[in-house]
Amino acid sequence: MDSAKVTDAPVVKKRKTASLTAKKARVGWVFVLPFIIGLIILYIGVIIESIEYSFATYTTIPAVKGGGYSLTWVGLENYANILPKTVNTETGETFIEMMFTGFGSQIIEVVAIILLSLFLAVILNQKMIGRAAFRAIFFLPVVVGAGIIAQIDFSNALLESMSSTEAISTGAVQTSAMSAMVDAMDISMLFQNLGFGSELVEVVTTLVGNIYDIVNRAGVQMLIFLAGLQSISPSIYESCQMEGATAWEMFWKITLPMISPMILANAVYTVIDSFTAESNNVMTYILSLGSSVSPSGQQAAAAWSYFIVVIVMLVLAYLILGRVIYYDRRNDS
Amino acid sequence: MDNQNTAPKIMKETKNKIVVDFERAPLKERLKAKYGTSNFARKILVSFFRFILLLGLSYVILFPFFSKISTSFMSPMDFLQSDVKLIPKYPTLDQYKYLVTENGYFRALLNTFLLSTATAVIQMLVCAFVGYGFAKFKFKGNKIIFGLVLLSMIVPDQILVSSLVQKFMYPSILGISLTPLTQALGLTQGFYNTYVPIFFLSLTGLAFKNGLFIFIMRQFYRGIPDELEESSYVDGYGPIKTFFLIILPLSVPMLVTVFLLAFSWQWTDIFYTNTFLNAADHALLTGSKFWQIMPSSLKELADETGGDMSPYIIAVKNTSALMIVAPLLIMYLFMQRYLIQGIAQSGFGGM
Repeated sequence: MDSAKVTDAPVVKKRKTASLTAKKARVGWVFVLPFIIGLIILYIGVIIESIEYSFATYTTIPAVKGGGYSLTWVGLENYANILPKTVNTETGETFIEMMFTGFGSQIIEVVAIILLSLFLAVILNQKMIGRAAFRAIFFLPVVVGAGIIAQIDFSNALLESMSSTEAISTGAVQTSAMSAMVDAMDISMLFQNLGFGSELVEVVTTLVGNIYDIVNRAGVQMLIFLAGLQSISPSIYESCQMEGATAWEMFWKITLPMISPMILANAVYTVIDSFTAESNNVMTYILSLGSSVSPSGQQAAAAWSYFIVVIVMLVLAYLILGRVIYYDRRNDS
Repeated sequence: MDNQNTAPKIMKETKNKIVVDFERAPLKERLKAKYGTSNFARKILVSFFRFILLLGLSYVILFPFFSKISTSFMSPMDFLQSDVKLIPKYPTLDQYKYLVTENGYFRALLNTFLLSTATAVIQMLVCAFVGYGFAKFKFKGNKIIFGLVLLSMIVPDQILVSSLVQKFMYPSILGISLTPLTQALGLTQGFYNTYVPIFFLSLTGLAFKNGLFIFIMRQFYRGIPDELEESSYVDGYGPIKTFFLIILPLSVPMLVTVFLLAFSWQWTDIFYTNTFLNAADHALLTGSKFWQIMPSSLKELADETGGDMSPYIIAVKNTSALMIVAPLLIMYLFMQRYLIQGIAQSGFGGM
């Protein structure tokens, strides 16, 4: 617009550069086009519709009348129905209670997964005998640990707890759940003798009992941490060593700040992963509320209220970790 | 005199070879200086405990596989004998035999293999393509759309399950219904119960954890110097040609990583296949037809033996799990090197 005031020669030049950037921008749109098509045709509509379901009742229109489906607005009725609904007839637990009991144990598990994966990544980054083999073993769950295997293992654990102890003592080694392997009773006795509080003991024993689950779910996080560790320049460690820092000091003063962005990324990843895991009983319950073919408003309402819980947890993680994160501004663009 | 003392002593001399011996401390003292210090002892101790710890955790990861392998060879009798722990007394291949013949293992394997390969290749290419766009081109809305990629990562598809299915059952593009088209194709339930949804999600970068893949690829491409493309432009290539001929070959380790993850996650996936497909009509490894139904011959065998057979039923399930992951395990053995390499190169460090 202002180019009228400028002399002729720069105008030509300016127009040329402007068209080049415009051209580049257009090419950029071409590259992200697949994703944008998906967004417009499917994804945005899906999200809006899913929210609509939670405020409506769904009815199918029979094929004679043209097919399709209709939604009747019912306001907050679905939420009012699902939240106080009794989930477990034995204990009288309601849905909202189930969400929050799950919430507490999830937080502990997420923290445990992140700490363990960081610890293992640091160890696997050191030079030692059999490192390649150990790496291969620890990243195995990334490839085979999810989906069907988790489902089968999980249903095994359920069956096992339901079946009498006699079945186990018959010698069948069907136990994939590690709770049988690590005898939690002994550990709790040990800790209680040491004089720790019973709540702490309970946390520790459940974590130890779930060690199989936790190690299995830490694979991707380990990979991300390992990538972060390898990107730290060795010259920083060298200069630290010259100054006489111990390995312990180097971990706290170099390693931890340098990979703190990865801790945040992993926290977000772990929270989402553990909230949608096959072994998560809230998610299982939500999916059982309606079949995928005929959606129910209650299912959508339950799903979105659960998602709000997840978002709250993500914001919490972000607020807590965002304070301590150190960004290396070296190659910031 | 001094020079003569420190000069190397010639031990043996041939035409083109000479063996010399420098004067140095005796072997015993040298070894003592190297291995006799407290520093060395600590190092040994640390690596010893590290090794034990890793070994223990590896056992935790691998034990389910060992137990699955051992129970897969057991006959119903083994589950009634209290002295059988890991090694079966009456080893048999019945479980494999009937899972293959009666539950149609090879058919399911072939279908799963084709589906996983196709979707993984598509996801790999699409995510690289989109990721490259985010990494190298600055256009208006770049940040907003990338934010939407992150959103698609955060909102789990499990929450959207019913509306996703409805969208494919009653397909429409921008308000124009496609139902006449699907009916013309002979589909009564829209695209439900076909492979269209799975491929559509893959093509648009919305399939399982594709947000993560786009993110990884973007980080990787941000690390590639711009001069590379500039020189390619100077040589007369357009951006698309540059991407396919210059950039894509460069990013093979990353592509292998993404392929490996996409392939194995599709392979073991139960959520998408069971949501979009009616399990009874499709022979897939993760479909209920393969692993949830006990082969009738095995049931007969169990009934003949008598006693509580619930452990045996679980063992059969575990065997089917083993048969599902076996091809994946073999692939992983060959490709795990690239997984670690690729992630290490991904530029996660520059996040």
